[in-house]
Amino acid sequence: MYRDLSPLVAMVYRQVKRWMGARSRLVSTVLNPLVWIIFLGLGWGSVFSGTSFSGLPTGVPVPPGLSISDMIQRYFNAIFGGVDYLTFMVSGMASMTVFMGSFIGGLSVIWDKQFGYLKETLVAPASRKLVIAGRILGDAIITTLQGLIVVLLGLALAGGLRLTGIPIAIVYLFISALAFSSLGVIIALKLTSVEGFQMLINLLTMPLMFMSGVFYPFTTMPDWMKVFAQFNPLSYTVHGVRYWLTGADVGLYPMSPVNDLIVLAVVGSAMLWLAGVVFEKTSIEE
Amino acid sequence: MEVIVVENLVKKYKDVTAVNGVSFTVKRGEVFALLGPNGAGKTTTIHVIATLLKPTSGRVLVGGFDVSREPGKVRRLVGVVFQEPSLDNQLTAYDNMYVHGRLYGLRGRELHERIMEMLDFVELKEFAYKQVKYFSGGMKRRLEIARGLLSNPDVLILDEPTIGLDPQSRARVWDYIRRLRSELGITILMTTHYLDEADELADRIAIMDHGKIVAMGTSLELKNMLGSDVIYLRFAQPVTESVCREFSGVKDCRLLKDAMVELVVENANKLLPEVMKVVVERGLSLQEVSYRKPSLNEVFLHLTGRELRDSLETPQSVTRRWHR
Repeated sequence: MYRDLSPLVAMVYRQVKRWMGARSRLVSTVLNPLVWIIFLGLGWGSVFSGTSFSGLPTGVPVPPGLSISDMIQRYFNAIFGGVDYLTFMVSGMASMTVFMGSFIGGLSVIWDKQFGYLKETLVAPASRKLVIAGRILGDAIITTLQGLIVVLLGLALAGGLRLTGIPIAIVYLFISALAFSSLGVIIALKLTSVEGFQMLINLLTMPLMFMSGVFYPFTTMPDWMKVFAQFNPLSYTVHGVRYWLTGADVGLYPMSPVNDLIVLAVVGSAMLWLAGVVFEKTSIEE
Repeated sequence: MEVIVVENLVKKYKDVTAVNGVSFTVKRGEVFALLGPNGAGKTTTIHVIATLLKPTSGRVLVGGFDVSREPGKVRRLVGVVFQEPSLDNQLTAYDNMYVHGRLYGLRGRELHERIMEMLDFVELKEFAYKQVKYFSGGMKRRLEIARGLLSNPDVLILDEPTIGLDPQSRARVWDYIRRLRSELGITILMTTHYLDEADELADRIAIMDHGKIVAMGTSLELKNMLGSDVIYLRFAQPVTESVCREFSGVKDCRLLKDAMVELVVENANKLLPEVMKVVVERGLSLQEVSYRKPSLNEVFLHLTGRELRDSLETPQSVTRRWHR
């Protein structure tokens, strides 16, 4: 009778209800990526554009039929996979929102420790694995929704996004959300203080974010960074989502739409399983 | 029949022995109180029974199931109300109950009706759809009691159920506990460091100190442990010291002032009818009879000493205040 999915449903219900109860969080979810898009996307967007180039230096030979700004535009298009910078960046922004949102979701585990709610779930006769899976699933649903909001924002702001790619991109985002929520929960279960978790967030998220191809392409990264990027699961989210949203296929080996999905699914299941194992062993004894 | 059996329970943390060889049993339908100063090991004992902590040694059975070997079965039988609030403040009262119910395998219409019934029991029905963060301390505690009862447990564990509550909320919680015992016959294991609470509610009390049980019994038995009751008799006519010779089974007898006699006895309840009979037989008459039993307070201080119990709490409880 306890083999049913009730605990999973209960925890999904809780996470979603909590999210709906906190309106301010909804605003910040939209506002934060919007700031990045406006200031970084629009700001750099015109830098990485041929049209902004006006002064033609003398003595530079120009092939017939092409202007310098055309050539620059071609160069940038090649770098950003055939799209302009704003489109490039906006398509990565959804992945970043999901990544940050999911990871920070672990914070609520620490609140639960401090506000005693963890005990409530630990004395319940429900399967621990299902409880923690429900919680992760709930967080993943929420952050995927947040990612969708950012995609829709991007659709309005940047020209190059494909409406038809959105449903497939959402699948990539959701699987990534499961993986990163699990990671956040695993770390949070091992920590006791909010300060410690925030420090870890700062320490981990920034490098992972910058080495994932959200803001600049992999191809122009220094070699050592490329190696890190290859082992960064977020790179696969960014690459896959960008491919489906814009068609830009700029990645490192082994990134391809199919491989991205495989990598994310493997990492996601491993993280989810590990979260279950860690939660099974969790006790109030510290 | 015994619902909870604790045999030689020992719980050691890294360098501290919190519980050191505790044994007791709780019968079905009984209210059993663990009474003791802070840091006596009450909460640790309760956490072991609620399957939150594994015993270092000893045996703990709840409803016949061993807490270390079959924690899942024990959890289904037990409802717990922790000392520190464990509600989700961002959810409504109803949603807190709903999530709890689903975790305990309830669902659908049955769950909804049970939630409403329990909210009604603790008189919070009208606040069902309000977020818990707006609740007062007393309301939160009542909601937690309702939540603990939701799954219809055999055993309700209450850790300091009235700590930090105002007198009104306290009286209300006492009321609920009495009703649970009389109407539902639910077995209740509670901890408290309030003597009046144990005296008022518990069928039996175990006094704990330094991880051990130092005394156990009914409130009356514990009070009698300290030995003597004192009976005061004020006669209608002047009497002399010789009146003392009339009473048998008396430890000590003194004439306080004219017509006022003090009798020190083992058990005033039992001896008082005898004393009255003697008075009448000797043709004397009384103006006033009173007797004093030692209070549980005196017993408690007698057994646990008067020194303050300063012990460091876990750092969690310090940070929680900062982030609330």
